[in-house]
Amino acid sequence: MASSKKLITREEWEKRLKDVKIMKEDMNKLMMNFLVTEGYVEAAEKFRMESETEPDIDLATITDRMAVKKAVQCGNVEKVNDLNPEILDTNPQLLFHLQQQRLIELIRNGKVEEALEFAQEELAPRGEENQSILEELERTVSLLAFEDVSNCPVGELLDVSQRLKTASEVNAAILTSQSHEKDPKLPSLLKMLIWAQNQLDEEAAYPGINDFSNATLEDRAV
Amino acid sequence: MPSATVNNHRPSELLSRLASAEPEVKVRALREVKNQIIGNRTKKLSFLNIGAAPAVADILANSFDDVIANNCNNNNINNILIQSAAVLGSFACGFDAGVQAVLDAGAFPNLLRLLANSNEKVVDAGARALKMIYQSKLAPKYDFLQQKNMEFLISLLNSENENVSGLGASIITHSCETSLEQKALFDAGILRKLNSFLEGGSLSQRDASLESLASILKNNSEVILKFSGPEIGRPLSSVIDLAKNRYPRTRLLACMCLIVIRNTSPHFLQDVGIKTKLIRILLELLDDPGQVGDEAPFAFSSLIAQKEDLQKLALEANAIDKLHHHLQKGSLHPRRYEGILLALADMCSKLESCRSKFISLQVLNLVTDALTDDNADVRTAACICLKSVTRSIKNLSAGYFMNEIIVIPLVQLFLDPSTSVQVAALAAISNIVVDFTTFKSIFVQCGGMKQLVQLAKSIESAVRSNALWALKNFVFLADNRLKEGVFSELTASLLSSLICDPEPSVQEQALALVRNLVDGCINSIEFVFAEDGLILGAIGRQLQSASKAEIGIQGMYALCNVASGNEFHKEAVMHQLFPLVGDKNQSFMSKFLQSNDSQLCTATVWTIVNLTCPSSPGASRRLEKLRNTGIVSQIKNMVNDPCVDVKC
Repeated sequence: MASSKKLITREEWEKRLKDVKIMKEDMNKLMMNFLVTEGYVEAAEKFRMESETEPDIDLATITDRMAVKKAVQCGNVEKVNDLNPEILDTNPQLLFHLQQQRLIELIRNGKVEEALEFAQEELAPRGEENQSILEELERTVSLLAFEDVSNCPVGELLDVSQRLKTASEVNAAILTSQSHEKDPKLPSLLKMLIWAQNQLDEEAAYPGINDFSNATLEDRAV
Repeated sequence: MPSATVNNHRPSELLSRLASAEPEVKVRALREVKNQIIGNRTKKLSFLNIGAAPAVADILANSFDDVIANNCNNNNINNILIQSAAVLGSFACGFDAGVQAVLDAGAFPNLLRLLANSNEKVVDAGARALKMIYQSKLAPKYDFLQQKNMEFLISLLNSENENVSGLGASIITHSCETSLEQKALFDAGILRKLNSFLEGGSLSQRDASLESLASILKNNSEVILKFSGPEIGRPLSSVIDLAKNRYPRTRLLACMCLIVIRNTSPHFLQDVGIKTKLIRILLELLDDPGQVGDEAPFAFSSLIAQKEDLQKLALEANAIDKLHHHLQKGSLHPRRYEGILLALADMCSKLESCRSKFISLQVLNLVTDALTDDNADVRTAACICLKSVTRSIKNLSAGYFMNEIIVIPLVQLFLDPSTSVQVAALAAISNIVVDFTTFKSIFVQCGGMKQLVQLAKSIESAVRSNALWALKNFVFLADNRLKEGVFSELTASLLSSLICDPEPSVQEQALALVRNLVDGCINSIEFVFAEDGLILGAIGRQLQSASKAEIGIQGMYALCNVASGNEFHKEAVMHQLFPLVGDKNQSFMSKFLQSNDSQLCTATVWTIVNLTCPSSPGASRRLEKLRNTGIVSQIKNMVNDPCVDVKC
């Protein structure tokens, strides 16, 4: 099987790569797009000054967005509503996740009474209005039943990952409301690269990229 | 500030703080109301019930005076404007009671004034609130035909602020109704503007434009022609491109726009390629978990409804399999559930091949489950689906549908609180009871027949007429025992009063029922003579004053069947046809014979044939009478009638 594949040596490959023209401006734009979408406002500012690349959205809006992201990590909805009241009014799933986060934070801090009251007042009606939320709600409330919350079956709700997931959801919602793409371009590029290499693997043996963090050319791992 | 505490500010307390003279207290209170009500329908309702809408509307109104008077406290005033607009907008968001309250409180004109404010955030708040109002049917109607209004609309669309231009599009989408308005919008150059959004606008502008376009083009072939002409660019291709856009909502809206164009001007978008593409895109959109996936089946229905060619293409694209697959998922959002059931109903409405596919996949079980769903629209949709599927004569005659799993829940729906469910259930049953086998007893056993008779007395005319339709089908070619059962339940007096019902559709069905009752063996004819010929008399009276041809047709066939009996029967019919002795006035028979409706002529001729068939003793006497009234010569003239049936 291997013999039917075309063999491309490293020299030949590198020569071909050299002939491919890419523009520095394009790379700068990709960089800026990444920083801006992910919300690294200071880095974006610095990068803008040093590379003279213009961001495609107003950097001021990133500051707003990042403030929201931070507040959201403890389930605070107020900043989102200040930015754009429509977002949570038209997005019941997102609102629920934020309130779920708030409940989780109350439980994490041992404020059981408050947690129960909050669940009853705010979350239970959401569950009634929206069946799909009910299951997740029940899972979250069940946290209250366990003594050792970090070791219970639904313990993952207390993870940082849960917070980050919610924060990411909010970030995406805000970007969409601002008519901006919610995903940076860089991941799509990498996916395209992976796909292209997989396709090429069937036809040729060539030096490719196996480890994306250092992007060195190596023999393709079979 | 306390972190993450439960809101212990009761609505009434907040409301009193709203009334405070201090602007900072006001702003904080407004903000808190806003945060409590966003996404929370229950809270919105409780605030509305204590008069929050007028309170906030007043704050907004009063703030305008402050704007002019107080330039230094600008920040606080802007905050008040922003927060009060946000609160009003939130009340109106997806909530008709809220929209009504905001409008009743007189906030609308003040929200409009916000659009002229110099502060961008104030403008945003105003535009958002107005957009929420315009998403409701309760929004005030926008008069496009007034020059001033058109100019204002154009200024909105030209605004740099996306919320404002989005508002402009929203107004068009929800207020544009008549063809006059559509033309006015075209003449004002609005389509050109919307098209520019399609090609160069942001995501939200594109989506908003697609919706507005659809409302301007709907049912207006003239505007569509101009739209696709060279003056505006190549907008049709822009829309077609957007149907392949990466965002699901954009794809859906683009498809809906194309469907509007296609349904209004069928010569557009005719080639198989585009038809197949539309079908495929919509079926894929079913996979979307959100609102787009909920609405996709409705768009699909609007594409294929009544169109066999599209249904065929959809069948080949495995539409029924896909719809079935989604039904199987379970715990569907009611809107999605309803949409999928209606899409299946449309697919199976005309083509036997679709119905066979439906049955072979055993989708029927899932549809009968939907008959007992909590949501009335879902139940109605399930019945409509059954009505389509039971048009399959092959399966009807195989007795496939007359079983307890289907019939019993359907019969239970006769008592449904919602009229539309009742009517839909009756329509479905009407097909099933035509059953050509002898399984009709199941229907009687589960009380279905009695229910139908009950419903024939309903105050809703649609229910009466559909119940009679079902009974008519039920007794079609049924044995006499069954007919007697129906008749004794119905009673002669009820049937005769239904024949004379105020509603023409009810009269027609009642007469058709009689026609089927007396058809067949000679004993059945006795029904019309019960209680001193109540029914026969009613038929005669109704034929005198028949308001439409269909009533005449059914009544005449009923008489025709009676006239096929013995001497007594024939004489009785004659008496109905010519009630007054020596009456020189034109009998309705002459009128019917002259009618343009060939079925009516035919029915009348058949009746005469039965009355004068030579084998019965009084035939010549009757023939004489007919000759005297000129009917015979009328018939002689009809020998040359173009209609074949009549000739024979």
